[in-house]
Amino acid sequence: MIAAHKLSAAIRSLRIRTVTAQWLCTLGLSAMLVMLPFAVRLNGRPHADWLQFLGRFHPLLVHLPIGMLVLLPCLELAGTTRPGLREGAGFVLHLTLAAGAITLVLGISLAYGSGVMGATVTRHMWGGIALLIELLMCVTVRPAWISGQLQRVYPALLTVSLLTLTWTAHQGGSLTHGGGYLTLYMPGALKGFFPSASAASDAAYVGSVYTRYIHPIFDAKCVACHGASKEQAGLRLDFYELLMKGGRDGAVIAPRSPDRSLLLQRVTLSPSDRHFMPAEGRAPLTADEIAALRSWILAGASPTATSIPGIATAAENADLPLQSVGDYSYLMNEIRQMQESQGAKLVAVSAKPSDGLILRTIDVASKFDDAQLARFQRFAPFIVEAELGRTAVSDECFDTLSKFTNLRALHLEGTAVTGRALAKLSSLSQLTYLNLSGTKVTSGALAPLNGMPNLRHIYLFDTPAEPASVATNSTPRSTQ
Amino acid sequence: MKQHPLCTDCEDPVTPLDLPIPAPVKQEWAAIETRRRFLGRSGKVLGWAALAGLFGEMGLRSYADGGDVKSPSAEGRNTLGLPHFAPKAKRAIYLFMSGGPPQMDLFDYKPNLASQFNKDMPDSVRGNQQLTGMTAGQAHFPIAPSHWSFAQHGQTGAWVSDLLPYTARMVDDLTIIKTMNTDAINHEPAIMLMNTGNMNSGKPCLGAWLAYGLGNMNDNLPTFIVLQTKTNPKQNNQPVSSRLWSSGFLSSEYAGVGLRSGADPVLYLADPAGVDRDVRRKMLDTVEQINRQTLAEVGDPETNARIAQYEMAFRMQSSVPELVDLSKEPQSTWDLYGPEAKRPGTFTYNCLLARRMAERGVRFTQIYKRGWDVHGDVVGVLPVLCQETDRGAYALVTDLKRRGLLDDTLVIWAGEFGRTVYSQGGLTQDNYGRDHHPRCFTTWMAGGGVRPGITYGETDAYSYNVVKDPVHVRDFNATILHCLGIDHNKFTYKFQGLDQKLTSPVPAYVVQGLLA
Repeated sequence: MIAAHKLSAAIRSLRIRTVTAQWLCTLGLSAMLVMLPFAVRLNGRPHADWLQFLGRFHPLLVHLPIGMLVLLPCLELAGTTRPGLREGAGFVLHLTLAAGAITLVLGISLAYGSGVMGATVTRHMWGGIALLIELLMCVTVRPAWISGQLQRVYPALLTVSLLTLTWTAHQGGSLTHGGGYLTLYMPGALKGFFPSASAASDAAYVGSVYTRYIHPIFDAKCVACHGASKEQAGLRLDFYELLMKGGRDGAVIAPRSPDRSLLLQRVTLSPSDRHFMPAEGRAPLTADEIAALRSWILAGASPTATSIPGIATAAENADLPLQSVGDYSYLMNEIRQMQESQGAKLVAVSAKPSDGLILRTIDVASKFDDAQLARFQRFAPFIVEAELGRTAVSDECFDTLSKFTNLRALHLEGTAVTGRALAKLSSLSQLTYLNLSGTKVTSGALAPLNGMPNLRHIYLFDTPAEPASVATNSTPRSTQ
Repeated sequence: MKQHPLCTDCEDPVTPLDLPIPAPVKQEWAAIETRRRFLGRSGKVLGWAALAGLFGEMGLRSYADGGDVKSPSAEGRNTLGLPHFAPKAKRAIYLFMSGGPPQMDLFDYKPNLASQFNKDMPDSVRGNQQLTGMTAGQAHFPIAPSHWSFAQHGQTGAWVSDLLPYTARMVDDLTIIKTMNTDAINHEPAIMLMNTGNMNSGKPCLGAWLAYGLGNMNDNLPTFIVLQTKTNPKQNNQPVSSRLWSSGFLSSEYAGVGLRSGADPVLYLADPAGVDRDVRRKMLDTVEQINRQTLAEVGDPETNARIAQYEMAFRMQSSVPELVDLSKEPQSTWDLYGPEAKRPGTFTYNCLLARRMAERGVRFTQIYKRGWDVHGDVVGVLPVLCQETDRGAYALVTDLKRRGLLDDTLVIWAGEFGRTVYSQGGLTQDNYGRDHHPRCFTTWMAGGGVRPGITYGETDAYSYNVVKDPVHVRDFNATILHCLGIDHNKFTYKFQGLDQKLTSPVPAYVVQGLLA
C-alpha cells in the first residue's frame, strides 16, 4: 500500500516535471521564433542565391501544412465517434508542426534571399510565426486535453490557429497575386463591405492633367512599392484619394506649396540620401517629371483641372510619346521565316513587344526592292522604323509604306525615290523622321509633307531640295 | 616487400614526414591520421567531387550551348531582354583623348585666374589629396592661368577656348559636362576605369558590353571597331593597349576589332594569288568542322568565339575595302573635313571612317588619339593637339547631323582625367606644365539621347573641385548605356560569383540632367 502510494507520487512528480519541461521547451522555442525576424532582418537587399533557390520551394511546400491543419479539426471532431481517428489526429498535429517549421524557414529564406520588404511581407511573416507558436502550444496542450484535463484550451487554440492560418494565407496570396486579386471581380453589392475594393476609380478624371501627366509618373516610378501590394510606409499612390490621404508620416502633397510637399521633397533629395525616393536604386524621376509635379502641386493639385501652366507646353515640346503597337509575339515564327528567306531583318526595338519592330535591310541592301518590301506588309502595323537607306526601292515603295500605320522613322537615303509619291505618306500620323538624303527629291515634291505636324526631322542633305546650310554656324558673342 | 626492378626508390620511400618539420607537429599528424579519419574523409571528398562534377557539367554545358555561331545576333541575344526600353541611340562613337586634356585650357573657363598668376594655390583647395609622384615633391603649386582666351559661342553661349574654333561652332549640339570626376590619378588605372568601369584589367570595356548586349546591325562588319590615330612623336604618348577594348570575361568575339592606322587598315585582306573565294570558303568550312569537333569534345566557349572570328574575317575581306574606299565621297565631305581627312591614320581620317561605319551599321566605334599628357610645354604642344583633333570632331558631328544620323548616334568626347591648375615644373610668363587631375575634368556628348546645348555642372574657382552636379565615371557610363536603351543595373553577367556590370558594384546613377 505504502509502496503503491509512493509509486503514484513518484509518477505524478515525474509527470509534473515532464509537463513543466515541455512548457519550458515550448516557451523557449516560441521566444526564439519571435526573435527570428530580428536576427534575419528583411532590409530590402538581396542575399545569397542559394537562399533564393531554397526559398522558392516555399510556395510549393506551404500547402502541405495548410492542408493538414484544415484536416486536423475534422479528425478531432470525427474522433468523438471513432477513437482511431483521434489517435491519428495527434500524429497529424505533429506532422503539421514539422511541415510548418520547414515552410517558415523556407519562407524567410525566400524573403531574405530575394530582398523583398514591405507591409504585406512583414504581415505574412508574423502570421507564419504566430501560427507556428500556436501549433507548438497545441502540441503541448493536447495530452492534457486527451486525458480529460483542460477541456477548452486545445479547441480554442485550434480555432485561433485556423483563423491565423486564414489571415496569413490571405497575406501570402496578396503577395503572389497582388492586393486586389480577390475583390477585382467581386459583385458591386459585395464590394461595399470591403473598403479597399471600393477605392475611388480614377475613371472620373478622364482627360485631366492629373490623369494624363501626373498619374503616369506615379504609375511608372512609385506604385510598385506604394501600391496595393506593398503599401510601403502606409502610402498608396495608385489612386488620387489615397495619394491625398498620405501615409504614416501624414499628407505627402500640400496643395499650392510644393516645398512643403513631402513627396516632392523626397524625390528631389540627393540620390545617395537615405530618404531618397524611389528607393532601392529604382529609376529616379526625371527633371521633367519633377517639374510637372511641382507645377501641378503649385496649381492646387486638382484631380480635374485640364490645363495647368507649364505642364502641357513641356509635353508638347517633347518628342512624341511612343505609341504602343500591340504584341507581335504570336508572329515570331513567321518573322523568323521571313528573315531567313529575305535576308532583311525585323529587329525588336526593345524587350517590350509593344515598342514595335525595326525593318533592317543593310545586309541585303542592294538586292532589296519594292517587291521584297511588299512581302513585309504582313507585319505592317508592328514596324515602327524602316531602314531602307541605299536599297533598290523606288517610288513604288510608298504604296506599301502607306500601310505601315505605326511608322515613326523612315530611312530612304541614297535610294532612287524622286518624291513624286510622297503624298502617300500623309496617312502616317506617327511619322516623325524622314531621311531623303542623297536622293533626287526636289523642294516642290516636299509640299505634301507640310500637312504632317508630327514630321519634325526631315533630312535633305545632298538633294536638289537641300536648304542653303544645315551646319551650325555661329558668330562668337562678345564676352559678358 | 619485393622491389620492382624499375623502381628506383629505396626500401623505405621518402614521405612528407621526412621533411624538416618540428617533432611535435609530426606527432600531432601521426595522432590525427587514423584509419577511421582517412576513410571518413575519403567519403566526404567523394561526395564533394560528385557535387562538383554535377555543377561543373551544368556550367560547362550552358557555355557550350551558349552562342549560335551562325547568327550571334539572333536567338541567343533575345534571352538577354535588351534593349530594356526603346533607345534614343542605336550606335555610339567614342572619341577617346588619351592622356588627359587640360579642361581649363579648353572648356572650363576661369576668368578669375588671370589675376592669380604664379600665386600659390590655397592648401584648402587641395585638401589632403595625394598627388602624383611628379608634383608631390613640389614646394609650391603656382597657379598657371590659361594661356588662351575664351569666348561664348552659339545660341546657348557656351564658353570655349580659342584653341577649338571648330568645336566652338557646334556647341549648340553638344552636352558639355564640366564636372566629370574619376578615382584614379595615373594613366593606366584611369583609362581602364573610363573604358571598363574598373581600374584593374580583365573587365569588358563599354564597347564589348554593347557588342554582347545589343549585337550587330551589319553581318559583314564587326560590331565594335577601334581606330588608332597615328602618334605624333613630339607629343607625350601614353601607351594604349588592347586591354582597353578587351572583352574581359565575355566571349572574345565581343572584343573590339582594331583597324591599323595606315593605308592598309587590315593586313592580308586580299586572298593570296591562286586562292579564289571558293577555295577560301572550302578551307574555312573545313576549319569550322574541326573547330566544332573541338567544341563538342572540350566545350570551351572560346572555340565558339574562334569560329565566329574566322567567319567575320572572311566577310570583312569584301566589306572592309568598300568601307575604306573614300573615292566616292562627294566634294562636300572634303570641304567639311578638310585635307587632313585624306591622310590615313590622322584623327580626321578616322572621324570620316567613323561616319562611314555609322552609316554601315557598326554598333560602336572608338577612336583613340594619344598625346594629351601635357606635363610640360603646354603652350607649345596643346595647339598642335587641338589642331589635330578639333576639325575632325566638328566635321564628324556636323556630318552625322546633316545626314540625319545624329538622331540615333551618340558621340562621346572624353579623356581619362583632367589636369591641374597649378604648374608642374617651372612657371614662366609664356609657358607651363600641368599634372594629372582626377577631381574634375570636362567631356562632351552629342546626339541620340542627350540634351543638346547645355553645359552641365559647376567647378570651383580653380577648376579643381566639383561644386555642383558631379558626374562620376560610373554615372557617365550609366548615362551612355541609358541612351542606348540599357538599364545599367539590369545589364549584368555572372562571373566569379558576382553579377558583374559595366558600372561596377558601387552604385551609379543615370544623370537625368544630361538626357534629352
